[in-house]
Amino acid sequence: MAEESITFTLPDLGEGLVEATVLEWQVAVGDVVARNAPLVEVETTKSAVVIPSPQAGRIAELHAAEDQVVPVGDPLVTFAVEAADEAPRAGIVGRVPPEEARPARRVRLKPPTA
Amino acid sequence: MSAKLTGDVTMRYVDLPPRAPADAVPVLLLHGFGTDFDMNWRATGWTRALESAGLRVIGPDLRGHGSSDKPVEEAFYLPEHFVADLVSLLDELGVERVDVVGYSMGSRLGWELALTMRERVRRVALGGFGPVNAFAGTDLSEPGSGDSPFDRVYRAVAALPGNDTAALAACARGQASRPFSSDPLLNGVPLLLVSGERDAVAEGAAGLAGRCGGVHVEVPGRDHGNAVSSRAFRQAVVDFLLA
Repeated sequence: MAEESITFTLPDLGEGLVEATVLEWQVAVGDVVARNAPLVEVETTKSAVVIPSPQAGRIAELHAAEDQVVPVGDPLVTFAVEAADEAPRAGIVGRVPPEEARPARRVRLKPPTA
Repeated sequence: MSAKLTGDVTMRYVDLPPRAPADAVPVLLLHGFGTDFDMNWRATGWTRALESAGLRVIGPDLRGHGSSDKPVEEAFYLPEHFVADLVSLLDELGVERVDVVGYSMGSRLGWELALTMRERVRRVALGGFGPVNAFAGTDLSEPGSGDSPFDRVYRAVAALPGNDTAALAACARGQASRPFSSDPLLNGVPLLLVSGERDAVAEGAAGLAGRCGGVHVEVPGRDHGNAVSSRAFRQAVVDFLLA
C-alpha cells in the first residue's frame, strides 16, 4: 500500500515564543500513534507543555533530539501515512489543534470562614 | 484579619465527566502558584491522561488565579480560605470524597485539605513540594526581587499573560503568613510525593514521604518548572490512583 510522508513542524506556541526545548519524546520511530495522543513534551521560557499529535500514523522520523532547542516552524516529526486518494489530505504544517471546548463553570462560593 | 476582609470570591472550575460511567473516586487537581487549571493540568497532558484512565477530573482556578476573582489584599489568601473554597466546591458538586493531586502551592493546599477534611480525601499525590518553607529567603514586600527559589518562581509566573501581579504578591504574603509545617504529619492517608531531581522547592520530599508512611518518586533531570509535564510524574500518579 502506498505511503506518504507528512512532516509536522514545531507549532506557534503563542505569546511571541520563537523556540522551545524538546524535553522528552512520548513516541519513538516506528510507533503507530493516534491523533491527539501525546507526541512530545517541550519547554519554553514560559512553561512546559505536552503537544498532542496532530496526525494519526506511523512515526517515520524525529527531527530533534531531547534537550535540543527547536525554532518555531522547524521540522519536528515526520509521519508515514497510507495514501488515500479520496480522503482529505492532512495539512503539512500548522498550529496544534486546540482541544475541544470543555465544560467550565463559575460558581459563587460562600465567604470562607476565618 | 477580620472576617469581612475575606468576603466572597467567585471561582471558576472545571468538571470533566468520566469517559465511561464509573464509580471511581473523582480526582481534584490543584494547580501551582501563578498558573491556572488549564496551564498546569491541560496543556501538560494531565487531563488527557486522567480521562484516558476513566477518571472524573475536577479542578478550580484557585482564588487570585486564572479566571477566578483576584483580590489584592493578603487577608484573602490564607491557606484556610483556599481549603474552604475547595470544600465549598465539593459540596456544590455533591462530591463526598476525592483523590487530591497538587503541584507546588496546590500541593501545600492539598496537604491542608487532607489534614482538615480527612474524611473527604481518599488518596493524596503531591508534586513539586517538600517540607521546607517555600518562601525562605524571599523579601515578601517585593517578591521576585531576590534570588530565592520562590523569587525565581515568582518572576517566571509574573510575566504570564492574565496574571495580576498585585494579586500574586498578596497571595504569596497570605500563604507565607502561615508557613508550612510538617507537624502534624499527614498520616493515615495514602501519600505519594513526586519531585524533580533538581527542584529546590521540593527539597526534603523523600524524607517527608517516608515520615508519613508514603512513597516518593524522583523525576531525573527535572526542576520545579518542568517536572509537572513529565510523563514519569503523570504515570506515577495514575498508577497510584488506580492501584
